[in-house]
Amino acid sequence: MTADIDRLAERVDAAREATEARGETFYPGPSRSRLAMFPPKERWDDWVELDSKAWPRRVEKRFMLVPTTCFNCESACGLLAYIDKDTMQVRKFEGNPESPGSRGRNCAKGPAVLNQITDPDRILHPMRRVGERGGGGWERISWDEALDEVAKRIRMAIVQERQNEVMYHVGRPGEDGFTERVLAAWGVDGHNSHTNVCSSGGRTGFQFWTGIDRPSPDHANARTILLISSHLETGHYFNPHAQRIIEAKANGAKLIVMDVRLSNTATHATEWLAPYPGSEPAILLAIANELVRTGSYDRRYVRRWWNWRQYLAAEHPGRPQTFETFEEVLGQLYADYTFEYASAESGVSVAQIRAVYEAVREAGPRLAVHSWRSAAAGNEGGWQVSRTLFLLSALMGAIAVPGGTYPNAWNKFVARPIHLPHHPAAWNELTYPLEYPIAQNELSFLLPHFVDEGRGVLDVYFTRVYNPVWTNPDGFAWIEMLTDERKVGLHVALTPTWNETAYFADLVLPMGMSSERHDITSYEQYDAQWIAFRQPVLRAARERLGETITDTRQVNPGEVWEENEFWIELSWRIDPDGELGIRQWFESKAEPGTKLSVDEYYGWMFDNSVPGLPERAAREGLTALEYMRRYGSFELARGIGPLHETEVDPAQYATDKAVDPFGRVYARDPAPVPMNLAPTGAPDPDAEGRRAVGVEIDGRVLRGFPTPSGLLEFYSTTLVDWGWGEYAIPTYIPSHVHPSRLEAGQVPLISTFRLVTQIHTRSANSKWLDELAHSNPLWIHPSHAKELGVITGDLVRVTTDIGHFVVKAWVTEGIRPGVVACSHHMGRWRLEGHDHAHRLNSTTVALERDGSRWAMRPRAAHGPFDSADPDTSRIWWTDVGVHQNMTFGVHPDPVSGMHCWHQAVRVSRAEPGDAAGDIAVDTERSRAVYREWLARTRNATVVSPNGERRPRWLIRPLKPTADAFRIGGPVGRR
Amino acid sequence: MTELMAPLPIVVEGDRKPQWAKIIDQTRCIGCHACTTACKSENEVPVGVSRTYVKSVDVGIFPEARRNFQVTRCNQCVDAPCVAACPTTAMYTREDGIVDFDKDRCIGCKACIAACPYDAIFINPEDHSAEKCNFCAQRIDMGLEPACVVVCPVEAIFVGDLNDPTSKVAHTVGREPVQVRRPEKDTKPKLFYRGAHASTLDPIAAERPTGDIFAWAMQAPEDAHHINSGAAPGTGSSSAAAIISYDVAHNVPWDWRVGLYTWTKSIAAGVYTVLAILVLLGAVAADGALWRFGAPVAAGAFLAITGAVLVWDLEHPERFHYVLTKGRWGSWLVKGAVFLSVYALALAVHFGAALFAGDAAPTILRAVTVVGIPFSVLTGVYTAFLFAQAKARDLWQNPLLPPHHVVQSFLTGGAAALAMAVVLEPGAVDALALVVGIAAGANLLMIAGETFLPHPTAHARMAAHELTSGRFARWFRLGVVASVVALVAPFVPALALPAAIVGLLGVWAFEHAYVQAGQSVPLA
Repeated sequence: MTADIDRLAERVDAAREATEARGETFYPGPSRSRLAMFPPKERWDDWVELDSKAWPRRVEKRFMLVPTTCFNCESACGLLAYIDKDTMQVRKFEGNPESPGSRGRNCAKGPAVLNQITDPDRILHPMRRVGERGGGGWERISWDEALDEVAKRIRMAIVQERQNEVMYHVGRPGEDGFTERVLAAWGVDGHNSHTNVCSSGGRTGFQFWTGIDRPSPDHANARTILLISSHLETGHYFNPHAQRIIEAKANGAKLIVMDVRLSNTATHATEWLAPYPGSEPAILLAIANELVRTGSYDRRYVRRWWNWRQYLAAEHPGRPQTFETFEEVLGQLYADYTFEYASAESGVSVAQIRAVYEAVREAGPRLAVHSWRSAAAGNEGGWQVSRTLFLLSALMGAIAVPGGTYPNAWNKFVARPIHLPHHPAAWNELTYPLEYPIAQNELSFLLPHFVDEGRGVLDVYFTRVYNPVWTNPDGFAWIEMLTDERKVGLHVALTPTWNETAYFADLVLPMGMSSERHDITSYEQYDAQWIAFRQPVLRAARERLGETITDTRQVNPGEVWEENEFWIELSWRIDPDGELGIRQWFESKAEPGTKLSVDEYYGWMFDNSVPGLPERAAREGLTALEYMRRYGSFELARGIGPLHETEVDPAQYATDKAVDPFGRVYARDPAPVPMNLAPTGAPDPDAEGRRAVGVEIDGRVLRGFPTPSGLLEFYSTTLVDWGWGEYAIPTYIPSHVHPSRLEAGQVPLISTFRLVTQIHTRSANSKWLDELAHSNPLWIHPSHAKELGVITGDLVRVTTDIGHFVVKAWVTEGIRPGVVACSHHMGRWRLEGHDHAHRLNSTTVALERDGSRWAMRPRAAHGPFDSADPDTSRIWWTDVGVHQNMTFGVHPDPVSGMHCWHQAVRVSRAEPGDAAGDIAVDTERSRAVYREWLARTRNATVVSPNGERRPRWLIRPLKPTADAFRIGGPVGRR
Repeated sequence: MTELMAPLPIVVEGDRKPQWAKIIDQTRCIGCHACTTACKSENEVPVGVSRTYVKSVDVGIFPEARRNFQVTRCNQCVDAPCVAACPTTAMYTREDGIVDFDKDRCIGCKACIAACPYDAIFINPEDHSAEKCNFCAQRIDMGLEPACVVVCPVEAIFVGDLNDPTSKVAHTVGREPVQVRRPEKDTKPKLFYRGAHASTLDPIAAERPTGDIFAWAMQAPEDAHHINSGAAPGTGSSSAAAIISYDVAHNVPWDWRVGLYTWTKSIAAGVYTVLAILVLLGAVAADGALWRFGAPVAAGAFLAITGAVLVWDLEHPERFHYVLTKGRWGSWLVKGAVFLSVYALALAVHFGAALFAGDAAPTILRAVTVVGIPFSVLTGVYTAFLFAQAKARDLWQNPLLPPHHVVQSFLTGGAAALAMAVVLEPGAVDALALVVGIAAGANLLMIAGETFLPHPTAHARMAAHELTSGRFARWFRLGVVASVVALVAPFVPALALPAAIVGLLGVWAFEHAYVQAGQSVPLA
C-alpha cells in the first residue's frame, strides 16, 4: 500500500495548470486548451501513464521518453520512443516536440515504426549464402566472419589499385556525410546513389539556376504556393511541408497544384491543373511570358541578380549591352508561349492557366514553388520543369525572402566531422561515365548495362537501404547482373529486412531501423537551420540508467547492428595496422591509436562544429552530446534570409582583386573555413587561379550564388560549354511521351506516384501501413475504359517497350483522359520455395527464364500467416499489386541522366490465361532500349571544353582529385 | 504495474461541468491516415478493426473532380444509443460527456454495434469485447491531448470543452458552419465536422466501385459479420458522380443466430399464449395432456433452445449472467431476460402443478395464466423493441414491428400446438388450424405493411430492397410463400398439419431475411 502511494505520487498531471505550477515545460497542442501535447520534458526520465489496454482500470505504467528520428522518408521527423521501464522495450512512438521541422507531429509512418522494429520477419543475424546466388539457401554466420570476409576483399582491391571495384550503392541515405567519408578514407570513388531514379531531374533545373540543387520553399509565409508535386502527401518533406502549406492556406494563400492525376494534394488545390504529361514547362513559360509582357515582374531584382549581361554578350553581342535591351529580348524570347499555345500543349484551359498567372502575379515575392520528382522525374527534358518553374521565382524576386523559395543549402546545416579524409584519386566510370558529363548524379540505374558492356566489374558491391531489383527500371537486367559471379564478386546487402535485392546477395547484414542506429541529418523545411540526431533509443535509455553501452548490438534485437559502428570496425579490419593510411580516419582523437567510438564521433561534432549547441546544452547542465541524446534536435538559427545579398568581408578580396566583365569578383585571399558543409556548387577559380569570392552588384561585393557567374543563371554557360547550348536558357523540351512521339495506340503511363502511407520498399514491414494501402490498380479515365470495355476491377494488360504487366483497372475521373497511372510501392514479391523472405505484403512468385525472355507469375496470393505476432493471422487482403517497374526499359535523360519514368504503353484487355501480377520481359529488348537512349548523349570526349570529364563546379559526392577529372586519368580498376 | 481506482479530478470551471467535444476540420485534413496508426499504437488495436479511419470519396468529373476525406469514428453522442442499448453498462457516459467503455463488463451481445448509427463500434478479436474511440479518456485524465490530435500533421483534429466559451472547440462550433453525421438519428453528436462533404457524411451517397478494389486497397471481403461500404453501383443517393475511393468493412453485428433465436423464442411464447387463450375459451381441454404437458414442455424446450442460442451468440458466453446481475433496465436485452425468466418460472409452476397437483391442476394452471399469458406475450413481443433499440437500423424502426412479432408468435405457437394436438388432442386441431390460418393472414398483412409501404428513409428503402429483391430475397420469398400455404390450414383439414409446419418454418426464413436485411446498409 505504501508503495502504491509512493507510485501514485509519481504520476503527475500534464495539463497546463499542473505543469506550470511545478515549473515544468508545457507543450501546448492543437486544441489550444489545458491539455498538453507531450509530457513535460523534465519528466522524460520517468513518466507514468495510464495503460490504455486496462482502461478504465487505472493501471500505471512507467516510461522513459527517448527521442530519435524517423527513417521512413527523408523528412527526418522527430520521434519520441516510449520505453517501458519494466520491460525496457519500446511501447510506442510519438512525435518529438523538440523537433523544429516536424514540431511533434507525424504522418502515418511515424507511429508505424513500432511495427517495423517488431516485424516478425526481420533479419536478426548476419546471413551467408549457401548454394547458388539467388537460390534461397542461407546460413547464419558471426559478425566476425562477415567482417573478415568483406575486409579481406576490399583490402585486396585497394592494394591492387582496383579500388573502384568496390561500390556502395545507397537508396535512402538518411544521414549527412558519414558513409561518404568512409569511402573517401578508403580512397574509393565508390559512391552510387539512387538519385537518378528519383530527384536528379528536379535537382538539375535548380542547380543550373542557383548552383544549389534543392529548393526550400517557405510555404508558411507564402501568398501563392505552386507545387508540381504532391507535398501534402509524400516527398521531401511531406509532413513538415504539409503542416506549413495548410497553415498558409488557412491564412488565405492560394495553392496551385500540377499533377496529371488527382492526388490528395490536388484535392486541396485552389487550382488543380492536370496537364498532359511533360507539358508543364509550356504552361510555366506561358505564365512567364505573360509576366514579362505585362511588366509584372520585379525589374530591379532581375537587373541585379540575373546573369543577363552574359546572355547578351554571348547571344546578342552586336546590340547595346543594357538591361533595356535584355528586357526587349526577353519580351520576344517566349512570345510564342501564349496561353493558347500552352493550353493546346497541355489540355489545361486558357482560363485556368490565366488564373494561375494571376495567382503568381498577385503573390509577388511571396511565391513558394516546389518540384522534386513528379514531372521532372517522368519526362525526357524533365529537368526543365524545375528550371522553368524557378524562372517564375526569379522573375518575381521570390528567392530567399519570406514566402519565397530558398536555395536549400541556406536552410540546411551539415556539421564538420571529427575527421575529413582526402578525396579519391581515381574516377569511377561506372558511376560517372563519359557519355553523361553534366549528369546531376550517378548513372546508377544503368549499372547492369555498363557491366554487361564490359566497362568494369564489381568486386565488392554494397547495397544499403536500396532495392534496385525492385525499385529500378529493368529489374531483370539487375537479376542477370547480380546472379553472374563474374560481374559481381561479393554482394553485401546492408538491410533490416529481406527484399528483392537481398535475395540475390552473398552476405545479408542486418542493420537497425529508425530507433536502432546513429545518424545526423538536417533538412530544409522552413527558413532556418537545424540538425536532428537519430539514435538507438534503448542504448540511450540504458545509459540514462547508468549502464555503459559500447556497441549498439548490445541493445538491438538479435545481432542487429548499425552502420556507423559497422563501417568503423570494417575499416579497422581493412587496415588493421594503419599501413594503408585508412585506419587514421577511424581513430579516436582523444586517445590516438584506439578505435573511434560513436560517442566521440558525435560528441566531438556537437562540441566543435555546431555553433550555439554547447552553450544551449550548458544552460541545462548537459554536455552537447547529452543534450542531443535527450532532445534529439537543435535549431542553430532561424530567419536565415537572402544570404546572396550579404556583403563579402573586404578582407576576403584584399589580395589581387579582379572583377570579370560580368561582375564576378576573384581574389587570392584564402577562403574562410566553412562551418556549414551543406553541398553547393563550387565555382571555379579564374584563369589566373584566383578564388571566386563574390559578385559586384551596384558597386557592392555580395556573396551571390555558388554558380560560375555568382548570379542566378538564366543563361547557363556550362550548358553551352558542354554541348547543350540549345537548352542554355529555360526551355520547353517536348517529352518522350509527347503525342508527337507516340505511336498509334500508345498512351503515357504515369508510374511514379506515391501513396500517402507507404515509402518505396521500406514500409512494407508495417502491418498497419499495409492494411491501409496494398494494391496499385491502373488509373484509367471512364472514356478510355469504355473504349476498352473494362470496368473497375477488370484485368488489363499494359504493354511497355520491353514487356508487359497485368493489373486491375481503377476507372476514375481523377485522371486526364488518354493517360493512365499506376502507383509504385506495390507488387512486392518473394520467390517460391525460399524460407528466408519477407512475407508481409508480398506475393510468392515463380521466375521463369528462356534466354533473354523472363516471366514472373504469382504462385500464391498474399494472405494470413502464423508468426510471433497474432496480427499476421488476421491479414484479410490478398491483392498486393503488381511490380510494374520490371517492365520498364531504362530511359536516361541525355542531359540530367535522370531516368525518365513515364512509359509509352498500350493498354488492352487481359488475354486468356493472364493473371493479376503477371510480368513478362525480354532483356534483349531492354538492352536495345538502353542503346537507343545512350545514342542521344553527347560524349565528354567530344564536347568537353577542357579535356575533363565533368564541369568541376557541379556538385558531386566524393569529388575526386583534379588529376582524376582528366579524360584518360586514373579510373581505379583493371 | 499498480492498479489504482481513484480517478484524477476533472477540472471544472465555475459550476459548469466540462463537456468534451471534438472537431474534425476536413478543410485541413490531408487524408494521411496518421490518426489511424497513432490510434492503433496508443490503444493497441489489432489488424482488421479500427477505432478511427479515413474514408475517402472521389466526387465530380474530370477536371472538376476532388477527393473528399472523412475521419470516421465514434461521435461521442449526448444521447448515445450504444449506452442505451448496452445491457450491462459496459458502454457508459462519463460526467464529462465522454462515452467510454469497460471491457470487463462486456458480454459481447453486440447490441451497441447494432444501435450505433455511425458504425463506430467493433468487437476486438483479441479480447472479444466491444471497443471504439473513447476520446483517449486515459490521456484526457492525464492532461494529455488524444493521440490522434497529437499526431495530425495539419492540426485538423482538436478537442475541448463545449461549455467553455474560451475554448477553440466552442469558438468553432459557435461560429463556423459545422456539421454532424446523420442528425436525423437524434443522438446529439459531440463530434463536429467542419467542411465535410455530403458525399462522405451520407454513407450511401457515394457508390462503391465495381470489382473488389478501392483506389489503393482491396474492399474488405463480406462475411457473416461484415458488409461492404457505400451504395451498390448504380444506386447511390447522390446525383453527383461520387465513388468511394477508400473505406473499411462495415459491421453486421447479428448473424443468423439472432434470426434463429427470434424464431425459437416466438414458438416458445406462442405455443403457451395460443393454448392458454383456447383453454380459457374452452376450445382446448383444461385437463387435457395438450394443455397440461404439451404447452409447458414445448414452450420450455424452445425457451431453453432460445437461451442456448442467445448465450452462444455472446462473445463472452461465460458472462451471460451479467444480463441479470449487472443488468441495466433500460436495455431491452435485460427486459427480455427478465420476461424470459418470469415466463420460464410460470412454465415451471405450470408443469409442476400438472405433474403433482392432481385434480387441482386445472385450477392452478388457470391461475398461472394470470402471469403466464402476459409474460408469454411479452416474450413474444420484446424482440420488436430490442430491434427498435438498434437505433442505427432504419428497417427496424417500424411501428408495425411489435404487433408483427405477436402475430408471428400466434402463427408459430399455433402451428407447434397443432402438431402436438394431432397426437394429444385431435379435437383441438380445428381450432388451432383456425388460429394458424388467421395468424398467417395477419402475418402476410404485416409483411406487406413493412415492406411495401413507402419507406421513410433511404436506409429503410435500401434495406427493404435487400429484403424483398436483393441478397435476402430468397429467404423473404420463402417466408411469404410459407404463410400463404399456412392460410390453407383451416380450410383443408387433411393438410392442416403440413400447412401449419410450413407456416412455422416460413417464419424462420422470414426472420433470418429480416434480421440480415436490417443490417445490410453500411452506416459509415
